[in-house]
Amino acid sequence: MAAKNAMEGFTKAVADDVRKWGAMKQTGVSLRYMREFGSRPTDRNLLLSAQFLRKELPIRIARRVIELENLPFGLSQKPAVLKVRDWYLESFRDVRSFGKIKDKHDELAFTEMIKMIKVRHNHVVPTMALGVQQLKKDLNVSAAFKDLEEIHQFLDRFYMSRIGIRVLIGQHVGLHDPSPEPGCVGLINTRMSPVQVARAASEDARGICLREYGSTPEINIYGDPDFTFPYVPLHLHLMVFELVKNSLRAVQEHFADSDKDVPPVKIIVADGAEDVAIKISDEGGGIPRSGLPKIFTYLYSTAKDPPIENYSIRERGGVVMAGYGFGLPISRLYAKYFGGDLQIISMEGYGTDAYLHLSRLGDSQEPLP
Amino acid sequence: MAARKASEGLSKLVADEVQRWGSMKPTGVSLRYMMEFGSRPTERNLLRSAQFLHKELPIRIARRAIELENLPFGLSEKPAVLKVRDWYLDSFRDLRSFPEVKNKADELAFTQMIKMIKVRHNNVVPAMAFGVQQLKKDLSPSVVPTDFEEIHEFLDRFYMTRIGIRMLIGQHVALHDPDPEPGCVGQINTKMSPMKVARAASEDARSICFKEYGSAPEVIIYGDPNFTFPYVPSHLHLMVFELVKNSLRAVQERCMDSDKDALPIKIIVADGIEDVTIKISDEGGGIRRSGLPKIFTYLYSTAKNPLEENYEGVHQGVTMAGYGYGLPITRLYARYFGGDLQIISMEGYGTDAYLHLSRLGDSQEPLP
Repeated sequence: MAAKNAMEGFTKAVADDVRKWGAMKQTGVSLRYMREFGSRPTDRNLLLSAQFLRKELPIRIARRVIELENLPFGLSQKPAVLKVRDWYLESFRDVRSFGKIKDKHDELAFTEMIKMIKVRHNHVVPTMALGVQQLKKDLNVSAAFKDLEEIHQFLDRFYMSRIGIRVLIGQHVGLHDPSPEPGCVGLINTRMSPVQVARAASEDARGICLREYGSTPEINIYGDPDFTFPYVPLHLHLMVFELVKNSLRAVQEHFADSDKDVPPVKIIVADGAEDVAIKISDEGGGIPRSGLPKIFTYLYSTAKDPPIENYSIRERGGVVMAGYGFGLPISRLYAKYFGGDLQIISMEGYGTDAYLHLSRLGDSQEPLP
Repeated sequence: MAARKASEGLSKLVADEVQRWGSMKPTGVSLRYMMEFGSRPTERNLLRSAQFLHKELPIRIARRAIELENLPFGLSEKPAVLKVRDWYLDSFRDLRSFPEVKNKADELAFTQMIKMIKVRHNNVVPAMAFGVQQLKKDLSPSVVPTDFEEIHEFLDRFYMTRIGIRMLIGQHVALHDPDPEPGCVGQINTKMSPMKVARAASEDARSICFKEYGSAPEVIIYGDPNFTFPYVPSHLHLMVFELVKNSLRAVQERCMDSDKDALPIKIIVADGIEDVTIKISDEGGGIRRSGLPKIFTYLYSTAKNPLEENYEGVHQGVTMAGYGYGLPITRLYARYFGGDLQIISMEGYGTDAYLHLSRLGDSQEPLP
């Protein structure tokens, strides 16, 4: 049974430890550094990496625990949120109670432990979503989205931090891969083809659309298929999937009652000196200018709320076309994580353009909220 | 010879008047109101309009005169800026010395006077541009445009006010037109076709491009040619002209450097409930993300500077590029009636400009 306050469920010692580590300064890592470090997975480097994570992860985890316990409007007391807080506390204790890492044996055990931590946190997003949804129901129905400004900002920091923690863990675990894909350093593909990833993500999105509507618009991708650059394919796949999913849905609904041919969604991949830019354009009828700020708020959705009580199934198995209201805000966090951005511009009555800017330089430090 | 301060050249009385009127609250007018009021140009309405302007114009003019005298970095003392300030002071005095508007004769005389005021201020934009350029030369070359934040904000307010003043004067003067175009209320066309205006503006831009480069990329416009809505065609023409001019230049330069074909500029006109949106897309190679904030600053330009001393006759020969005023002022026009201008670019590919024009017509003029 989740206790209302950390101090009731856990010893005061742990609570003090959380506060101590939560006040320590975080250390950011750049994409370039991850790449270079990870390309030489020597025993020594594995040790250095593990020792770094042993000090860094508790800091990042503790900061989030403290925030989770101090959310406004009673959000901290929602059962789903307490569950998430407990996951963070358990992970904090796991890392803090792990002894010094002195040799290869310690390092392997440490790696196994952080692997399990990552799994423990797999369902954080839908769980938090459920908690916020419970809060929405409790509050006055007319509470405007901007009244929840504080919560939005918390969720941005919270999810950005989660992205960072999972990238660091993923990179470290990836160093152990005995036979990595050529060109790959953990989650990073030093020769990722954005056109290829966009194609795969688009096909995934079309599959969902087909399942839900019985048909799906075409997707045309323009760009140099041979162009590659270092990036995390998983992140790009996630972002393109989200954006294409939205476009397909808009087009499908806009043309549902009409005889017209359904116009294809167009993706353009451009490579510049600073950025790789990916534009996803649809003619799905667009969004009125007054409605645009809402689309980046958490839990805004034009779809019926899908039942997310049973969230353990939702994440991997049955992805829905729409409903959480987390797709766009989180896509933008992924874009910003390595120094990029996501912008959405719409033409009411016509369609919407989403611009994904991915920084090529790789020197941006992780954002550390 | 332009005096350094108003109180030196003019009586203290005028300076006090400027202070007094400059602290009074301006009154905004909406597009819808201008349309409805202007559609009934009765003598009574002409009188009311003149009386309103008689009180409103001095407020707006005085506010700007005060700002012009208090600019940072010594901008207020630049000869070009002093000249502009004198224009504003002259216009202020003209208005303040005009007696009460009581009848038709008064109203006709008042209309003539504000017509002349409008003409007096015709070259304010290049004159101010020249003043700011003089300042740029005087300051250290390492001072980046973003350091001029205060000046940028002043120029935004200044030009937005100017748009408003000229709009109000233009509307009033046009109420006297004995034979207006059907559907037109002064500068407003209640049945403006955005596609038609876009076509005309694009052709103007193409001919400038042609004159400068010997050729011009195509411009293809998509949209409903029969769609109309109330707006000010001269404003839209100005904005589309500016944006298409930029796109043409980008495409032209790109295909001169490489062997690529000059791909056409695409314009899409979309009508929604809240907005009419016009997107102008080019494949001119784009702007890098780090360079994007600069494009809306005054006097940022990637072209050689064509500003000359003789700014009086400058609008005769419009050039393809150079002032660095096109985009910021275009955005002010868009915002004047509650719209906006956004520019997004894809480095290595091209740029999209989105002009949002509010259809609702209820937005008050912005009154900085």
